Amino acid sequence: MVNYGGDEVSALVIDIGASSVRAGYAGDDCPKAIIPTSYGYHPAPPDADVTMSDGAENIDAVNKSKFANIYIGQSGPSIWREGMEVGNPMVEGLIQDFNPIKPLIDHALEKTMRVNSSEHPILVTEPTWNTPANRERMAEIMFEEFNVPAFYIANTGVLNAFAAGKGSALVIDVGQSMASVTPVVDGFVLRKGLSYSPLPKLIHAHARHILISPTPHRRGIELLPHQLIANKTLVDAGAPPKFTIRQDRIAGTTESWRNWAETREIDEWVQSVAGVLDQGWNDAVAAQRTARQYEFPTGYNNYFGLERFQVGEQFFTHSPQLVASNPNLPKTIPQLITEALRACDPELRQVLMGNVVLTGGGTLFSGFADRLTAELTRSFPHTKIHAPGNPVERRYGGWLGGSILASLGTFHQLWISKEEWQEHGKPIVGQRCK
Amino acid sequence: MPRELYALIGPSTPALSAQLAKPRLKQKPNFGGTAPRTKWELRTFKNPARKDGLELRHWEKVGADSAADYPFAKYDIQPNSYQYSPEEYTRLLEDKDWTKEETDYLLSVVKEYDSRWYIVHDRYNFPGGHERTLEDLKDRYCSVCRKLIRNRPWAGDDAGKTLLISSYQFDKEREVTRKKYLKSLEDRTPDQMAEEEALYIEVKRLEQSERRFKRDRENLLRTLAGIDSGLPDIVEDDPLPLAILEGSKTKTKKTKGVAEAESPATPAAAPAPTVKKPIKSAAYDAQHCIIRTETLSAAIATKAAHQPAYLRSFKLPAPKAAIAPKVTQALAELGISHTRLVMPTRENALLLDSLIEATTTLVETKRAYDKAEYEIQVLENRLGLREKSQPAEGAEGKIEGGAGMDVNDAQVGKEVEETDGEDGRAQSILSARSGGRSRKHARRSMSISSVDTVSTRANNKRQKRN
Repeated sequence: MVNYGGDEVSALVIDIGASSVRAGYAGDDCPKAIIPTSYGYHPAPPDADVTMSDGAENIDAVNKSKFANIYIGQSGPSIWREGMEVGNPMVEGLIQDFNPIKPLIDHALEKTMRVNSSEHPILVTEPTWNTPANRERMAEIMFEEFNVPAFYIANTGVLNAFAAGKGSALVIDVGQSMASVTPVVDGFVLRKGLSYSPLPKLIHAHARHILISPTPHRRGIELLPHQLIANKTLVDAGAPPKFTIRQDRIAGTTESWRNWAETREIDEWVQSVAGVLDQGWNDAVAAQRTARQYEFPTGYNNYFGLERFQVGEQFFTHSPQLVASNPNLPKTIPQLITEALRACDPELRQVLMGNVVLTGGGTLFSGFADRLTAELTRSFPHTKIHAPGNPVERRYGGWLGGSILASLGTFHQLWISKEEWQEHGKPIVGQRCK
Repeated sequence: MPRELYALIGPSTPALSAQLAKPRLKQKPNFGGTAPRTKWELRTFKNPARKDGLELRHWEKVGADSAADYPFAKYDIQPNSYQYSPEEYTRLLEDKDWTKEETDYLLSVVKEYDSRWYIVHDRYNFPGGHERTLEDLKDRYCSVCRKLIRNRPWAGDDAGKTLLISSYQFDKEREVTRKKYLKSLEDRTPDQMAEEEALYIEVKRLEQSERRFKRDRENLLRTLAGIDSGLPDIVEDDPLPLAILEGSKTKTKKTKGVAEAESPATPAAAPAPTVKKPIKSAAYDAQHCIIRTETLSAAIATKAAHQPAYLRSFKLPAPKAAIAPKVTQALAELGISHTRLVMPTRENALLLDSLIEATTTLVETKRAYDKAEYEIQVLENRLGLREKSQPAEGAEGKIEGGAGMDVNDAQVGKEVEETDGEDGRAQSILSARSGGRSRKHARRSMSISSVDTVSTRANNKRQKRN
């Protein structure tokens, strides 16, 4: 038992990200419940009776004011419902809206994992730039609403380093909405060295721009989700699509749902087609690469050659005309790394560059790891990049680190117990979770 | 069941017994063997490292001692930290750059983060204080600790105290300079790095060409003025010139005097060795027991000719290989081992050398004596034979003698081969005359002179092959 330092107290680990909420038992190697963070809801009409319809969650009195119904999970926002809005509590990696947090966690724990939260200590993750108010609110939700016996909030940067088996590391985390570079030393984040930017948002916007704006070769692509399409017929590549829209649904579709669905279409295109060249931008090389075919739900399909690499290039360099038109561009990955290293002690730089940990779903972008290796070895010849090949480990690195941490025997003295919470109140969170 | 009814079933009477017997299921395998199964139970436990009463639950073996301490509690080690009273602060720790409040804060942060200085520096944020570098913080903390240790009563010994103080030693200036160098090393632009690389290669190239020039010069001087007139400080270990050197050494040795006479004006050859020697007084040497030996390689300062420092015990004088076993044997009779010197001082080594020399002479004298003795014996025998054969018939003896001579001739060849070069000539003449008998004698003498024959045998074999 003492040999590997583990002592499992059936703790639960919850990792809330911009794209999904991960929950599972500490000590497992992958989360048991992975549900989308986006949720569908019907806004409650002022002073109206609450109607419970099919698939809706139980809502507490707290949430009644905002949601008449809330739809969470795999059959949440992805199912078309008349008048359903889609929301996401996360803004720039932080929880902005705590209203849906309770239903989200509830769904993950009670509906998916079928556990009683009052029986398990719970470890929650937070990004490095989380505010003290936010983490205290999270502790409050856990103790007051979920009635957990013990709680801890840990930093995703540290957890990602732990998931890679390292105490000191430079964690490069590219998520759905944020890219961050976090130096971790001895299991602590160097806060002065943290740098982050909403770079993935820019990638997304760029991809959307490429798709919807017409080019000399093709017209703009309609990003209609399959939920709004009644039927389609096979057409040749580049030919105008032939499909019929479900007119009955158009009227009942809300703007937020439409947005969410289009975002998903773009993401899927990016994930299956877009890539990045591994040795920097080069028109000739990009033109040489084979074009990839992709078919949209409308039936429109085409081969994407050069433009699929333009998308990925945004991770590393911004084109001069883009910089000229927009001075407040999010920093690129090399800029983030440089900034993080500059803030660190010169002695630490070599250590950190020898322990680079690549994590987050955004880093699964085709060719990203190769390009990053090429970029880093140019300025730091001794760089070593730890990039797990297993997509689960790469995407849920933060959860995995939490799973490791919460199953360690030596960790159990760090839990904030309910007793301590009642005795000390909110300040205990800041004292304990450094 | 009535008989009529039973008869209705007809000839296909079912086996009642088969129907009524319980179906036999496959036996369940017993994986655990006969060993009892380990039972586990979910137990609550308390962690002594915690100050509150949190009870968590984990699985434990049923037999395990539930009252035992939590095994992970022992890893909760609190770092020792220093506290000071206000009087101590005013008396010892006043610093114009630091207030007491900030020092308090520093100590608390250091304690909180277990002296992980990078973290301490990262989290250090004293309200109203100015920006401090890592070195500032570490310097202040270490000086505070040093002063406290030095001025407080110490229970242990002085060594422990100095050790503890030295563990808080921190040279701020040095650290700052080091970091500065490190930073400048990192801040090199690619151009600078390329330039540095180019400069390095250039220096290497210059060095190489200089060395080549020196070598050429030395070769020239050598061809002009002989071996000893080379440049003294040349450090070159080319295998080719060295081979030439080895070959020419013997040749030049003979003409050494001539060469020296011919080239008195060769620049650095003569004065160099004297320059190398440190000119210190003999009194100094005597006082410090320094014994200077003349270096043989003064003439040629090549790397191969250089004799590195060695332990005297590694180079003890040894007898000549040819007679080594005999010398060893002779010494062993006296209870002396020449291979091992308990105290290999210079005097002892010299004594051993003279001892071995004396033994060698003794062994050689013995051998010469043995040889002479044996020859005398042989001659005496022959004399005896001749006296006996004198009265026998001449003709018969002659014929037999002729045949005998032939046989002997063949034997002579063998004899020559079997004996050593030195006394081989004498013995061959001897055996040519004495025939079979002398051979017998030779054998005997060989067995007496044990060592030499072994080596001569070896020689013989070589000769035969040749």
